Amino acid sequence: MGANSRRRLVTATAAAVTVLAAATGCGGDEAADDGTITLTVDVFGQFGYEELYKQYEAENPGIKIVERGTGTNLDEYSPKLTQWLAAGKGAGDIVAIEEGLLIEYKANPQNFVNLLDHGAAELEGNFMPWKWDQALTADGSQLIGLGTDVGGMAMCYRTDLFEAAGLPTDRDEVSALWPTWQDYISVGEQFVEADTGASFLDAATQTFNTIVLQTAGAAEGYHYYDLDDNLVVDTNPAVKQAWDITMDIIDSDLSGKYGAWSDEWVAAFKQAKFATIACPAWMTGVIEGNAGPEAAGKWDIAKVPGDGGNWGGSHLAVPAQSEHQEEAVKLVKFLTSPEGHIGAFKAKGPLPSSPQALDDPAILEATSEYFNDAPIGQIFGEGAKNLKPVYMGPKNQAVRTEVENAVRTVELGQRTPDEGWTDAVNNAKTAAEK
Amino acid sequence: MTAGRVAQVEPEQPAADATRPARRQPEPPHRRPRLWLARLDTKASPYLYIAPFFVLFAIFGAYPLGYTFWVSLHDWDLLAAEHPFVGFDNYSRLLADGDFWNSVLNTLGIFVISTVPQLLLALWLAHLLNRQLRARTSFRMSILIPNITSTAAVAIVFGQLFSREFGMINWALDLVGIDAIDWRNTRFGAWVAISTMVDWRWTGYNALIFLAAMQSIPKDLYESAAIDGASPVRQFWSITVPMLRPTIVFCVIISTIGGLQLFTEPLLFNSGPNPIRGGPLRESQTMTMYMFENAFAPHFNFGYGSAIAWMLFALIVVISLINVLVIRRLGNSTRKEG
Amino acid sequence: MKASQHLWSASKLTYATLIVAGLMSIFPIYWMFVVATRSSDAMGQIPPPLTPGGNLPGNIERLFNNPDAYFLTGMINSAIVAGTVTFSVVLFSSLAGFAFAKLRFKGSNALLLVIIATMMVPTQLGVIPLYMLMSQLDWNDRLAAVIVPALVTGFGVFLMRQYASQAVSTELIEAARVDGCSTLRIYWNVVLPALRPAAAVLGLLTFMTMWNDFLWPYAVLNDPENPTVQLSLRALSNGYYNDMSQVFTGTALATLPLLIVFIIFGRQIIGGIMEGAVKA
Repeated sequence: MGANSRRRLVTATAAAVTVLAAATGCGGDEAADDGTITLTVDVFGQFGYEELYKQYEAENPGIKIVERGTGTNLDEYSPKLTQWLAAGKGAGDIVAIEEGLLIEYKANPQNFVNLLDHGAAELEGNFMPWKWDQALTADGSQLIGLGTDVGGMAMCYRTDLFEAAGLPTDRDEVSALWPTWQDYISVGEQFVEADTGASFLDAATQTFNTIVLQTAGAAEGYHYYDLDDNLVVDTNPAVKQAWDITMDIIDSDLSGKYGAWSDEWVAAFKQAKFATIACPAWMTGVIEGNAGPEAAGKWDIAKVPGDGGNWGGSHLAVPAQSEHQEEAVKLVKFLTSPEGHIGAFKAKGPLPSSPQALDDPAILEATSEYFNDAPIGQIFGEGAKNLKPVYMGPKNQAVRTEVENAVRTVELGQRTPDEGWTDAVNNAKTAAEK
Repeated sequence: MTAGRVAQVEPEQPAADATRPARRQPEPPHRRPRLWLARLDTKASPYLYIAPFFVLFAIFGAYPLGYTFWVSLHDWDLLAAEHPFVGFDNYSRLLADGDFWNSVLNTLGIFVISTVPQLLLALWLAHLLNRQLRARTSFRMSILIPNITSTAAVAIVFGQLFSREFGMINWALDLVGIDAIDWRNTRFGAWVAISTMVDWRWTGYNALIFLAAMQSIPKDLYESAAIDGASPVRQFWSITVPMLRPTIVFCVIISTIGGLQLFTEPLLFNSGPNPIRGGPLRESQTMTMYMFENAFAPHFNFGYGSAIAWMLFALIVVISLINVLVIRRLGNSTRKEG
Repeated sequence: MKASQHLWSASKLTYATLIVAGLMSIFPIYWMFVVATRSSDAMGQIPPPLTPGGNLPGNIERLFNNPDAYFLTGMINSAIVAGTVTFSVVLFSSLAGFAFAKLRFKGSNALLLVIIATMMVPTQLGVIPLYMLMSQLDWNDRLAAVIVPALVTGFGVFLMRQYASQAVSTELIEAARVDGCSTLRIYWNVVLPALRPAAAVLGLLTFMTMWNDFLWPYAVLNDPENPTVQLSLRALSNGYYNDMSQVFTGTALATLPLLIVFIIFGRQIIGGIMEGAVKA
């Protein structure tokens, strides 16, 4: 190494140190020297709040709103939120919580601001009772979130495939085809016989989830855990009933066996490889995105077999670590008010959890061009209002994952239905103890 | 460099030191501090040179390690406020946990299929590249390109290549009349697919390390061996491999550590619901994935997850030791023959 | 000398093997490029399209105009992070590697084993305590949180140590000692030149690792406006559906700087043949 290299080395060191110093400084938070408070909202997927933020900022000078995580996957959002809560730092002033994980977070309410302390009790009438209860702790003393959207439930189908199979395509006619799941299976068998090259449905796991929520809702109002938090996955007839119906579906070869949310599943939309899919309100956005503009008008929405249902939905909560609790709660109340719900629906389509919003003409008359001008507000809204709630016990997410995976093993032919059921029960029990 | 100046200081030979002052003129005063400085230099500089690592590690490495171990001794719900101490309960539960042993099996299986061919291939490729080639840089660049691209993008591509219905590999198999294989949902299929991904990515990396090391082997060794009549194969096993031994040990240990900690590739391969599960029957769930599944959603059992992390550590230590011993053994036997 | 020419020439078989290896390495990247120049539909098509389409300029434009991704910022941040860390790792690792390999001091074996052992604990869970540490230092959302913990790596020290033990001649060091060189002088004039190929490899590998690092930056850099390039690539995927062609276009662009770095460092590795360290 000559003198030249040495000089270069010294210059490089100086540069590196400067950069390091700069890096330590850059990216820091903005000093609120003009008194503006910045509220950070953490979301996943699409909540549709952009216009609402602008409206709120205009009505409340001195508040600036920043949204993080738009478009992220729930699977990535969830560990992050956990990390922030565990570390006591890093969470936004408002965080969105999906209903599956709400149970877990609710078990440790100290991580969140109790909204009842901030006058939330008077808002109870703004939400469907089961939605309100979801965010309420068992003893009713703490409310950790206010509801955003609900899923509702319908059955989306491809009109061109139905036509090719000789089935009716008008949505009322289609809804009349399957008042029960057994009817749905019969239609499916008809479809399979017509040999269109596509399967009748995408994945049995999706259907299973829909069915179990229906059977549980119609019976005692709980599925894997009873109201005393005992694990009853093996003794609750509602669960076995749903299992048996799903086994029939698999047996009749109706499933395309795609892993829900996998790359193949996404590609299958484009290739029109299945004819129906269990459809909560937010699934319409997924279908539109995955199937693409060329499929516009080829999808339609019919009633779901059985008796309505709900899949998905979120709440907005304020983490206890927030430094602007008052302002954050105020913003949450705004975003989850009936007007907030309507605004979000108009932007991105999530179905309101507010009965007032559901009765609003904006919702009732909403149609979707992509889905053949189906009256989405009406179809999903009806289902949501008539929903019979299902109680979810403490380890619901873990147990549900085990049972659904057991369904999939049968679907893939890796297990017989009996083996699958044994697996489901045993794995559910193990998971509940972890 | 110093020409012609004989050092007054020879720290390795204190005996000679003692005799020197007696033989020479008394040392001029300015040479004594020199002696002291040089001794200090030899004693202290090694510690100074390794200090940066240990200082940084003490702050950013040791703390997370210690914390994870401490957590593994508790029933630690990530979201809860209280974390009761349970001693080694998590560890004993782990030993009885069927899913844990399943993940160990997967980890070891994928490790063997991916690491062994990878290292052999890398050694051979480096050997081929260590010549006068035309378009040398292009060849070297081409084998390193897999390692340059981000893992996420690669996993998406491979996930698609191995897709059951729309994948290119099944399409190619179909052309030659073989049935489509459900890569994702059979244990061996998943292992092969993931190992392919790993091998594709890391072979060039290891080849490059071997190549750099091969260049420090003096050419004359080969030339004299050639003159003595040694065949190229003989030269490879008798000169190249023994001289590369430290590097081979390095690559084996690094590959062991990396291979047993495999996380991103199997995670991204399993696109779909709960990718962290590695398939409905956990066919491709490695230990790190199992650890993650327990520490975060849906179990949030940080203590149990941390225990898994330390069990994995123990496994890596054991396997690394075995690997190094095997290499030493092989190296010794080659030397005896050589 | 005819014998040596024979030794170092490459046979046809060698070329053939290398070409096959090269093609297999490049094909998945080529496929990514094909999708990047088309649209996401290309992913699911049977038979798969194997030629590039013409969408690249459009995709690039959408990429840079994507409001959620901050792609350019991501590239710049990643360059800062990767550059700083590479420099530091090569410097400190070569110092420490030399010390472990060639200098005698008490506890050297034990300490080396500690360094290797530290690499054996999986780091995914360390995210949480490390994140808490960063919160204490108030480095959240700052590049320092990504740079500082990576400034010296066990991998780097281990690599340099192995290489130094093999490539640096002990005799030369002894001779330099006899001549009165301080340890630092020895490092500078004897060791560093010998370590050049390994330093180049380490530099290249470190740069690539930092450039492609995802998990830790994802955990600690939560400001969407200040991402590294891998985070901004992730932000390209909408939660409900992935626009693969955008993701791959972004990946292709994100890989370009790495190729440039490779070309720079690659010469060092090749250069090693000519200059070599020591003739025994």
